[in-house]
Amino acid sequence: MTQGSEWEPRLLGFLCKWCSYAGADLAGTSRKEYPANIRIIKVPCSGRIDPLFILKALRLGFDGVLVSGCHPGECHYQTGNYRARRRMAITKKFLEYMGVEPTRIQASWVSASEGRKFAEVVTEVTRELKETGPNRLFD
Amino acid sequence: MEQRLRREAKALLEQGKVDYIVGFEPGSLKFTTTPLITKDKSDVDRLVINPFIVNNLANFLTELKGQVGVVAKGCDSRSIVSLIQDNKVAREDMVILGIPCPGIIDLSKVEKLTGKDRDELDDIIWGGDKVVITADGKRSEFSITEVLFDNCLGCELPTPQEYDILLGEPTLPVAGRSASQAKIDRLKEMTPQQRWEFWENELSRCIRCYACRNVCPACFCQRCFVEESEPQWLMPVPRWQDNLTFQVIRNIHVAGRCTDCGECERACPVNIPLRSLTREMYDIVSEIFHFKAGMDKEAAPLMTHYEQEEAEDFIR
Repeated sequence: MTQGSEWEPRLLGFLCKWCSYAGADLAGTSRKEYPANIRIIKVPCSGRIDPLFILKALRLGFDGVLVSGCHPGECHYQTGNYRARRRMAITKKFLEYMGVEPTRIQASWVSASEGRKFAEVVTEVTRELKETGPNRLFD
Repeated sequence: MEQRLRREAKALLEQGKVDYIVGFEPGSLKFTTTPLITKDKSDVDRLVINPFIVNNLANFLTELKGQVGVVAKGCDSRSIVSLIQDNKVAREDMVILGIPCPGIIDLSKVEKLTGKDRDELDDIIWGGDKVVITADGKRSEFSITEVLFDNCLGCELPTPQEYDILLGEPTLPVAGRSASQAKIDRLKEMTPQQRWEFWENELSRCIRCYACRNVCPACFCQRCFVEESEPQWLMPVPRWQDNLTFQVIRNIHVAGRCTDCGECERACPVNIPLRSLTREMYDIVSEIFHFKAGMDKEAAPLMTHYEQEEAEDFIR
């Protein structure tokens, strides 16, 4: 995504439909501004996210992936976000060891009432990705 | 130990306690062994135990039906326990013949040290903490830390914890942890950019033969994601970035199952240092979740389990 001559990172967001997706909705309806760099995929639960999805997104040209779910203890399915947390933890650590910048793998807990937090997370992640530069897994 | 193994294996087959014996027999090349899977009690005299029994025989358990008597070193027995945790095999369906394993000799290290091909060596004899190698009538002595596989130097449990028959006295780990971590430590000192270039260089050689996957007892999926076509996760042409994706996902899949047996690295036909990946995942899992694979057959598999409070530091 280029606007003028300035390089813009592409961010893919996997948002849990019960919390973070509703949080993103709230950010919109309450007119919070956040960068348009994010593309959102709604998933039933952050526990649905297979690390394979993250790798595939990076291979397809996204510069970063954000997985966002409910706060610990608030999962609609009780335990999905705990499982997601384990997977994300090892994925991030391991990719860092392979030489993939840790900023590309992002995770957040955003509840349905945290529209403002969602906007802040996307702004912050986009800024970090801009500093990190284009993703090298994409060729 | 070898005689005892043969006796026990024969008795197990004769008494009908097992349908199969899975062990090692001499290989067709010098200083090699090959897996022996047999129903025939006259075959048990071919069974061997020596410092060259590299393979992890746990890999065959998921495919054999009936009662199986299996020879297991320390790491293999942990692989078996890990398979029990995943309900891939049942403990009561097997008789584990445990071998306290002081380590396995890496022939490529021996070749490097002696400057000779393995065919030119006359004998390799292990005594105490020394290995005596004879070639052309000349004897040379090396410390065992110079000739053992890296993963054996970092071995935490050389004696099987889970067994029915232990074929020798328990043995202690080799003091070689720092040597076993040398490659990984070097990688960790690099910048991300250098690491990236290192892995680009290594993984570019990958021909996707999937030997690392096939030889791995922890890689037991009926259908591997690499063979899925809808969606197609990996392109068939071996681009190195896809090779990286394959290795990353494979390591995530075996996290909490990998016992650092080192089979993947040995199986690799293009010598990619795969153990530098698997061991790092082993250490990550141990550091973040205090989990070590194959220690307790009652424990839940790592990724099906969670603690209320853990690993929060990277989440916004």
